[in-house]
Amino acid sequence: MVPYDTAAIPIANPPASSSSSTTISKPPEIDGLLAGAGYKVRSSDLRHVAQRLERLETAMLNSPSQHLSLLASDAVLYNPSDLSTWVDSLLSELNQSQSLPSLPSDLSDLISNPTALDASWMDQQLSPPTAAIPNQQPSQLTVVEEDSGIRLVHMLMTCAEYVQRGDLSLAGSLIQDMQSLLTRVNTGCGIRKVAGCFIDALSRRVFAAGGGGIPGSAYETEILYHHFYEACPYLKFAHFTANQAILEAFDGHDCVHVVDFNLMHGLQWPALIQALALRPGGPPTLRLTGIGPPSPDGRDSLREIGLRLAELARSVNVRFAFRGVAASRLEDVKPWMLQVNPKEAVAVNSIMQLHKLLVGPGLDPAHRPAPIEAVLGWIRSLNPKIVTVVEHEADHNQPVFLDRFTESLYYYSTMFDSLDACALQPEKALAEMYIQREICNVVSCEGSARLERHEPLARWRERLGRAGFRPLHLGSNAFKQASMLLTLFSAEGYCVEENEGCLTLGWHSRPLIAASAWHALPETAAVSPDVAVVGGAVM
Amino acid sequence: MARSNEVSINESKMVVPLNTWVLISNFKLAYNLLRRPDGTFNRHLAEFLDRKVPANANPIDGVFSFDVIVDRATNLLCRIYRPSDTDEPPNVADLEKPVKSESSSTVPVIVFFHGGSFAHSSANSAIYDTLCRRLVGLCRAVVVSVNYRRAPEHRYPCAYDDGWTVLNWVKSRAWLESTDSKVHIFLAGDSSGGNIAHHVALKAAESESGIEVLGNILLNPMFGGELRTESEKRLDGKYFVSVQDRDWYWRAFLPDGADRDHPACNPFGPKAASLEGVKFPKSLVVVAGLDLVQDWQMAYVEGLKKAGQQVKDLYLEKATIGFYLLPNNAHFHTVMDEIKKFVSSNC
Repeated sequence: MVPYDTAAIPIANPPASSSSSTTISKPPEIDGLLAGAGYKVRSSDLRHVAQRLERLETAMLNSPSQHLSLLASDAVLYNPSDLSTWVDSLLSELNQSQSLPSLPSDLSDLISNPTALDASWMDQQLSPPTAAIPNQQPSQLTVVEEDSGIRLVHMLMTCAEYVQRGDLSLAGSLIQDMQSLLTRVNTGCGIRKVAGCFIDALSRRVFAAGGGGIPGSAYETEILYHHFYEACPYLKFAHFTANQAILEAFDGHDCVHVVDFNLMHGLQWPALIQALALRPGGPPTLRLTGIGPPSPDGRDSLREIGLRLAELARSVNVRFAFRGVAASRLEDVKPWMLQVNPKEAVAVNSIMQLHKLLVGPGLDPAHRPAPIEAVLGWIRSLNPKIVTVVEHEADHNQPVFLDRFTESLYYYSTMFDSLDACALQPEKALAEMYIQREICNVVSCEGSARLERHEPLARWRERLGRAGFRPLHLGSNAFKQASMLLTLFSAEGYCVEENEGCLTLGWHSRPLIAASAWHALPETAAVSPDVAVVGGAVM
Repeated sequence: MARSNEVSINESKMVVPLNTWVLISNFKLAYNLLRRPDGTFNRHLAEFLDRKVPANANPIDGVFSFDVIVDRATNLLCRIYRPSDTDEPPNVADLEKPVKSESSSTVPVIVFFHGGSFAHSSANSAIYDTLCRRLVGLCRAVVVSVNYRRAPEHRYPCAYDDGWTVLNWVKSRAWLESTDSKVHIFLAGDSSGGNIAHHVALKAAESESGIEVLGNILLNPMFGGELRTESEKRLDGKYFVSVQDRDWYWRAFLPDGADRDHPACNPFGPKAASLEGVKFPKSLVVVAGLDLVQDWQMAYVEGLKKAGQQVKDLYLEKATIGFYLLPNNAHFHTVMDEIKKFVSSNC
């Protein structure tokens, strides 16, 4: 058997990317060697951490091993990179569990693991079993196909260089060569589809007057989005992880309000409604404000979605109210439209929306202030209990075209690769079209037309930090459940990783989307580096 | 109980730098949480805790990396590390540029198996990413780090099969050939990775594949047996490792019902076939003097010698497990020099 490999676009962080974790500078007092191993410890704290480790060892030795395994399964743990906090949290878990009587296992399950959430995912977002079968690709690529794949990549890079240099006529003729090569490449060849998208995007950039993305109505976008949702787990992971965090943040509150920055078909919300319905002590009153584009044909699609969600809420006895806010752009939304009540616990939910508010880096902020600052500002003014943010884990907002092109080539070929494992049709084909539109926007649009300005997690951390938000760490329970659900419903190859309190979902070791949660410091409070933890004690 | 624990903590603290102590103690305690008495493993928590790094096609300190899927059926991934003379990142299509176009001298290709007692870590674990990068610069080599399937979910012989798959894959890559049109292959690994390197080399030697492995580099390789050796008794629990945890990992890796004299664990034990006359590669075996498994490692060295195989052992009296993870001790530098000499003289 000749092993099959995807030689054409290997999986990596691409060249010329500044998103690599190794290039982010660390504060000088952090132990450099431990940082290389993935742990952040101040050199001055080493001795203290060592002592705590000794204490932990003694405590563990004095616990029966059954007990330790149970602790490992049930305790919710956060941010293992921060060794000092990590060791302390383990110590306190051990001390707590030793002094309290253990809860009957079914009750403790409910408290730390809202199983309703699992059930909802399974009930509502169940893909037919065929989706879980790994891709049955032929085990051998012919040499011709591999060569064509590599040639296409070479040509794509060369073409991008021509575009970068302004040599549009050279670029144009290369595009024609690539288009003809594409017709000769077997459709089974991994690189073909993604190459096709990039060739198309380059073609629009070079040939279309004024450069352009793929035109499409909001309705079409919704259809494609829905199929992308079904064909691969990225959006499901985003919804699930955000819901988990929101559920925990709403704990103890009787009036809660979710502001969804992009309602679409409201796919995220049935699971949350059901989980709230099953909350011990009873559900809160739930308000949902869904933001979405205005419907052109007189339909009020937002209201339609709202009505359906209201029906569901009624069926599970959750008091529910919905409001739709129609806006073509997020920056057109004003906080008063959301009608937030100061007594409510507010969750702001943004799945792949914040990047649309960014501008090209390096532009003079005085000339055109980025809408992101204004929006983050009013989010903060709502005093939300939690802000859930999911974004693409990539730097597609680099100022130099060639860098952007290269990064997105890596990113989207990994994403296409993961999609190959999906057997559902037409979900897969439409999902590919959904991704194609993103590629087009990244490659062939500029200025205000370029909305897909993805930035990596590290940059979002900085930005949100500057805007007065502090991380709420996603813990081992969210990690475990996300992993479990992935193995149940998606092809092998997807992996969840923990990244300093955030979770990423990727394909074969390349993170592709990142989920994080935040809360806003009250505006009168001094800015402090303390970190709170979802559902647990403040550290 | 508490008192002997204090003693062992104090002893281990005296022989390694503080940051190494913190690193390895943290692993030790985390790993205690992951191993369940019934033999199952808390894989979710293990993955949550493992500090990983993505591959990076930007050269960092002269090395860039990228991941390749070698076998889709088992999702077998490898991380490839290559040297770069410039700070300029390679063109995406040039990641697999032929090594002979960059160097007229032979280019060693080191197939590396990370440690973790067959159950822990991955090719993209931060500690192993760092180690592989070092090997590239040290030996001017291409390093192929194998993300083999782990126990207890995948017992013997899965890890060996994955190693064998990658070895065949490496041999058949035209881009890895040196100017003499041959791929110059070394196998290397630490802890369980060292064990895997041995067994993959053995398979290569015994099969009719014609794959020649130029050398084996075994760092603190994981071997064992039913007998309790003197070093196991003397050093049990003193320097981060206990006999009990070693037993757990063997039970997790070996087939159900097998004991530690199974040839996978004890390659020169009563159940193993002789290596005499086998065309086995030269070996460099590094033994840490504070590793409780050292008697088995020295028995391995003896076994190779008795079978007429070439082996050099490097015994580092005051070294503990994991000394090669951080470059903050003399043993680290000694071993790196030896590895460099071994590779260049056998390439």
